[in-house]
Amino acid sequence: MNTRKKNLGALLFCLPGLLILAVFVYFPLIENIIYSFQSFSLSSSSKTFVGLNNYKELFSDPVIWQSFKNNVLYAVVSVVMQVFFGLILAAILEDKVFRRSESFFQTVFFIPTLLSLTVVCLLFEFVYNPQMGLLNSFLEAIGLDSLTRIWLGNRDTAMLSIIAVSQWQSFGYVTMLFIVAIQKIPSDLYEAAIVDGAGKIRRFFTITCPMVKQMFFVTMVLTVSGAFTVFNEPYILTGGGPGTATMVLSLHMYQTGFVMNRMGYASTIAMLIFVITAVLSSVQFFSFGTGKEERE
Amino acid sequence: MKKLLVAFMVMLALAPVFAGGSSESSGNADAETQIFFFHRWPNDPKNSMFNDLLAQYMEENPDVNIEMDCILNDQYKERIRMIVSTNDVPDVFSSWSGTFAEEMIASGNVLALNDIYEADPEWSGRLASASVAGFTFDGTIYGIPWSQDGKVFFYNKTIFEELGLEVPTTWTEFIAVLDALKAAGYEIPLAEGLVDQWAVLHYLGTINQRMIDEETLAKDYDPATGEFTDPLYVTALEKWQQLTTYMGDIASAIDHETARNTMFATGESPIMYLQFAEIPMLEQVIPEDFEYGFFNFPAFEEGKGDPNALTGAPEGFMISNKAENIDACVDFLKWLVSPERGYILSTVGGDMSCVDGALDGEGIYESQKEALAMIQNASYLAAWFDNACDPSVYVVYGQGGQAIATGDATPESVMAQVQAAAASLH
Amino acid sequence: MKKDRIFSKSISGKLIFLMLILLSVIIIYPLLWILMSSFKDYMSIYQDVWGLPEVWHFENYVRAWTRGISQYFVNSVIVTIATLIGVLFIASMLAFGITQLKGRIGYVAFLLVMVCLLLSPQVCVLPLFILLRGLGLNRTYLAMILPYIAFRLPMSVMLIRSFFVSISKEMEEAAIIDGASLWQIFTKIYVPLSKPILSTVTIMTIYYAWNEFLFATILVDSSSLRTIPVGLMVFRDGLMTEWGVVMAGMVISCIPLIIVYLCMSRNFIRGLTAGAVKG
Repeated sequence: MNTRKKNLGALLFCLPGLLILAVFVYFPLIENIIYSFQSFSLSSSSKTFVGLNNYKELFSDPVIWQSFKNNVLYAVVSVVMQVFFGLILAAILEDKVFRRSESFFQTVFFIPTLLSLTVVCLLFEFVYNPQMGLLNSFLEAIGLDSLTRIWLGNRDTAMLSIIAVSQWQSFGYVTMLFIVAIQKIPSDLYEAAIVDGAGKIRRFFTITCPMVKQMFFVTMVLTVSGAFTVFNEPYILTGGGPGTATMVLSLHMYQTGFVMNRMGYASTIAMLIFVITAVLSSVQFFSFGTGKEERE
Repeated sequence: MKKLLVAFMVMLALAPVFAGGSSESSGNADAETQIFFFHRWPNDPKNSMFNDLLAQYMEENPDVNIEMDCILNDQYKERIRMIVSTNDVPDVFSSWSGTFAEEMIASGNVLALNDIYEADPEWSGRLASASVAGFTFDGTIYGIPWSQDGKVFFYNKTIFEELGLEVPTTWTEFIAVLDALKAAGYEIPLAEGLVDQWAVLHYLGTINQRMIDEETLAKDYDPATGEFTDPLYVTALEKWQQLTTYMGDIASAIDHETARNTMFATGESPIMYLQFAEIPMLEQVIPEDFEYGFFNFPAFEEGKGDPNALTGAPEGFMISNKAENIDACVDFLKWLVSPERGYILSTVGGDMSCVDGALDGEGIYESQKEALAMIQNASYLAAWFDNACDPSVYVVYGQGGQAIATGDATPESVMAQVQAAAASLH
Repeated sequence: MKKDRIFSKSISGKLIFLMLILLSVIIIYPLLWILMSSFKDYMSIYQDVWGLPEVWHFENYVRAWTRGISQYFVNSVIVTIATLIGVLFIASMLAFGITQLKGRIGYVAFLLVMVCLLLSPQVCVLPLFILLRGLGLNRTYLAMILPYIAFRLPMSVMLIRSFFVSISKEMEEAAIIDGASLWQIFTKIYVPLSKPILSTVTIMTIYYAWNEFLFATILVDSSSLRTIPVGLMVFRDGLMTEWGVVMAGMVISCIPLIIVYLCMSRNFIRGLTAGAVKG
């Protein structure tokens, strides 16, 4: 058959999609690279080429460093709370002991995933509110008055409080991913282990963990790159404050671009985010080959 | 899939409808005279107020259609800066007075209004002259002021009387009052919500104005020449640091509105730095026997700025000289900036109208009338900090101000950052 | 700390069960609190944090709806549906095209799509803003719809393609012998067989478009086009806020997705986990 003609037809099918990607993904990416070497504001009609100046500023900007540290903290806590804790939680829920209540807990833990981040953040404004906040009221109610804090207004607690919001929202989702992965483990593996006299903890480490290795990796990359692109939580809850205590890279980019009106430097910050997240995702992409269909 | 295809086609066909669907007013869509009106009040109550006013105007003038759009504060600033110099400049748009107005005028697209003022003295004579002055540059008037505002310390009269406290006029007196209140058991004598960066900036703007002499300040606020090397800038931030010690730890975690409603209005904190525009909101939450008065920001003994100035520039409207129907725009604005509509602004919208006679009648609070007198007695109206200087500078100031309040930065370190930010602008 | 007994002995089992319950409370309680407070007025939220509303202010919902949420809701529906249709249509065509392309070009096309997965939307947001403004789309729904479609394509194409690849070639070959065109093969064979994966993509897309915040905040210039996540912020902004009304708005904004979830929770979970499982 006429391969070339068929390819032409198939290419027509690809055209709308590739066009959209070209205009709204590839073109902006290239533009962003160019912008990162320029200096301009939204109202100025001309852009000035400034060479590597923006990149130099990137390395001397104290807010970048502060933001980066916050992103790293975000990543570390998310990995521990979501990936490790999520895996353990998934294993517990998948245990026969909890079979009857599993679907209830699954449903409940999954609910926060359904809510938009705006709703979750506004909700946590009330949780952390220093006057009538649920958290402080609760601590007082159980007699732990000494633990009450001004959660979002204090440099020591503000960032961790914001990170906690993400954990509240996302741990159920990651747990669900692990449950899906655990359910795919052939049950005869476990049966054989039981015959060998392996206890639950040993089965967890010798069967569950190795069998969900790929999912473990996937969730690591998901949470870490999520942590480096986080925007909504600090934007809504603190605006980066107090001072720059809760500043993260995306928010710094937004403020530089749209508040300070320095689009060139903001694009340079975007490049930093791009490099970090692209490296992370390509690790996943190339180690596990997205194109391989190992399932179904 | 066919259904999907059909649906998709329908969507594509509808796309232009979506595109045009942004108009808020549907009144006289095909009227001959079209006006595009752009302002910065998308929030209620003002948004509904504008919708109602426009509907009323279009009903009275069926040959005119006003298309209105509005976005919030910072976004508005950014967008109007962007489009004022292009052909997309709105026919009628809102603007702050002072530096911001100058920026608008520099685009060359703002209509000079002297003729219009002179042609109708009965109307223009009613506009507060101090407010008109904010839109007048070298004798040319470029705007029609419609609201005036001022930021002053509101105080709880009952508590002041109980403790026998006098209204302070100097910084030393002010600090003495705050100490006395603290000693009397008011743990947080000064209420504020520092989560809102603008609340920090309102303070810092006034402190700078009082502290630094006018010429130096003007030079430093200009992005082209700003240096911020005067040692008094550090002194100014030290005053801020001193003030924050009276705001309690809680201040850094609540917003301005919360502080007003739950601390000042309840008598927990006897003093708060508020805008006159907040009077109606305050009135809604205070108990009936709550009595308050206000005093201007006290003078610094070492300050070089004018202590009788009042922070709070008037706002108004500008007309584009590219507008197709300038006469219609003028007619609309004269209708809007009138005692009747000024009264609606002052009662429904909460801001105080610039029009003489608008602040009479029922529904106008006594305190609004006092406020008016205070605005008229001020030596001049100083611009809000975030209108007066470049965002790269005031963002650093705002963040630094917060950090000083939480004890994470010193006045010196913040000024070093401000200087660096100002230097990067030239 | 974790010994084998924990699971087998009933006391430790109960302990874990208790912890699970505690975790559930941490999740459910704030949500119930929002629901409860959405019926209160401003002062009773502040003064009585825990109590049930003394007076049930059902009018909070009416006010939230009439004071903007209705507009935001309609905007969200329009943007979500348009994005969904666009994604389903364009992604399935693209996936089909890629499976039909023979030789290296098919691989290149696939790679071009997949590489986009590496890109976070943050990186493109500034140029997108400038681009959309340049195209004059910044005051239209398309300012959200087009970027949404673009950024949902890679994942959707990946999922649909891998499903297409698994479809047996027999029917297709028979159709070719009958002289069917590519379009007919696509619409008569591939699409009807792919309902499971298309429903997965549907849920992913609805979820994304309904909750998206970054693009909706930055790319759209007109206040009348705000979607719910951004519109809720408007309620909070400014000097005057009525918290009961804000919370009523929050509840309203959650309802559609919760309904979809309750109706088809299994599909829903599959939809939201598919991307990660495949990736």
